[in-house]
Amino acid sequence: MQTVIETKALCKQYGPHTAVDHVELHVPQGCVYGFIGPNGAGKSTTMKMLLGLIHPTAGRVRLLGQELTEKSRLPLLRQTGSLIESPAGYLHLTAQENLEIVADLKGVPHKDIGRVLDIVHLTQDRNRRVGQYSLGMKQRLGIAMALLGSPKLLILDEPTNGLDPAGIQEMRALIRNMPAATGATVLISSHLLGEMEQMVEQVGIIDHGHILFEGPLTELQRHSRGNVTLRLLDPAKAAPILRANGLTAHSDSCVVTLPPLQDALLADLVQKLAACGAGVVELTPHTKTLEEIFLSLTSEEAD
Amino acid sequence: MLKRCIIAENRKLHASPIWVIFFVLPLISAGYGTFNYLQNLEILTERWYSLWTQHTLFYSMLFFPAMVSAYAAYLWRLEHLGHNWNLIMAAPVRPFALFAAKLLVVVKLMCFTQCFVFVLYVACGRLFAGFSDWPPMSIVFYLVRGIFGGLAVAAVQLLLAMLIRSFAVPIFLGLVGGIAGMLIGSKGYALLWPYCLMQQGMNANHSTDVLAGNVLPFLLACAGWLAVVLLTAKVLLEKTDVKA
Repeated sequence: MQTVIETKALCKQYGPHTAVDHVELHVPQGCVYGFIGPNGAGKSTTMKMLLGLIHPTAGRVRLLGQELTEKSRLPLLRQTGSLIESPAGYLHLTAQENLEIVADLKGVPHKDIGRVLDIVHLTQDRNRRVGQYSLGMKQRLGIAMALLGSPKLLILDEPTNGLDPAGIQEMRALIRNMPAATGATVLISSHLLGEMEQMVEQVGIIDHGHILFEGPLTELQRHSRGNVTLRLLDPAKAAPILRANGLTAHSDSCVVTLPPLQDALLADLVQKLAACGAGVVELTPHTKTLEEIFLSLTSEEAD
Repeated sequence: MLKRCIIAENRKLHASPIWVIFFVLPLISAGYGTFNYLQNLEILTERWYSLWTQHTLFYSMLFFPAMVSAYAAYLWRLEHLGHNWNLIMAAPVRPFALFAAKLLVVVKLMCFTQCFVFVLYVACGRLFAGFSDWPPMSIVFYLVRGIFGGLAVAAVQLLLAMLIRSFAVPIFLGLVGGIAGMLIGSKGYALLWPYCLMQQGMNANHSTDVLAGNVLPFLLACAGWLAVVLLTAKVLLEKTDVKA
């Protein structure tokens, strides 16, 4: 599989502050890639460097198999759609006029406008001034602008920011289907892991300008497995069994907290606990928050 | 590429408030000039030329720089608002083409303004000053020269408006530039200051041609200013990071 976005030791320095520190991204063709990190982690800066909006202090960017240089930038941008830092647009103009402006700049025929308006469900509101749009509608208009000309690569910076749950749901469905529908590869950033889980196949996690993890979402989910709590009627009976299984349980009256366990081990343990009469009444697997995953990733890195 | 950028810029002017300025300021300027002329008929005896001195005094010093500054500030304000910088700079066009397109659109508006000013001048002359003939051709010549001088002003103002995110500050600087132009011009350093070039081109507040026999240095100065500003804009747009 071809790598559509590849960065090598990409750095951006602002005075003494390193916003992006030796970032290596590998975005395979035809996938939705989630670029996740807290606010200020360096996501936007990295994405802007991919588009040539910001000049890297060091490092290299390859897009669609081509090195990003001053010379290759325009041909590459012609194949790229982007939405960076909240939706853009001219508020005194209608959505139709806004898209005409973008189509003119991209050199895309105006007949493509109807198609992208359809995709983002703005056909009905195409002749309303964008100033009257809700944030969700502006966000969708931003996506429509990015989709003009059917680019091979879409770079979307927090496109679900500020949307209501229904809007997030809709955006998710839209983006998830993008590779299948248009053949595009999508790089999408967010500060919420949960929001991305139903949308992306590959993830890159960035914090303080460092990539902490890059790989398939399934692999990340292994890291996101949190503790398991058991509520027992008789914790005293459970203690020997837990010890026998080499588990150090943290128990608080009738609630026992266990470290993350493989499903098979957990099932076996529950069966044994039930058999000894400990009375298992509740089992709650916990998912780590993004912060906790960061901590576990950074502590692994330190090991 | 430049053509596509110009089409895009023109589209941004649809339904824009800039047209209010376009119509209102020249009207005020012409009204003020005509009033001044009619109040001072005993010293202003050269008919069309005298009326021209009154029409152009405040127009070249205040109204024209204010209008060109407003056109330029408005075109960049559209990009300063709502992260549109990201949008235009990620478009597959050379950043310099974006600047050049804005300059050409400002120049277009400026040409329209000059025409409108001429129409108002003729109308005021015929209707209020009671002239039954038509103005001399040299007035048209002054207006065209004013456009050449105005090119430098437009370029400088576009550069200021690109760099300064505020709408009002570059317009204020334009006014300061215009007023300073009158002073610098009276000291004889007209070619060194773009706002002066416009005033000298228009032959503002003079009934005899200030540029008689000096048109070539004037044109070279206009071209020089234009080149310096365009080069600065090109370097800034290509070498610095986009701040949306």
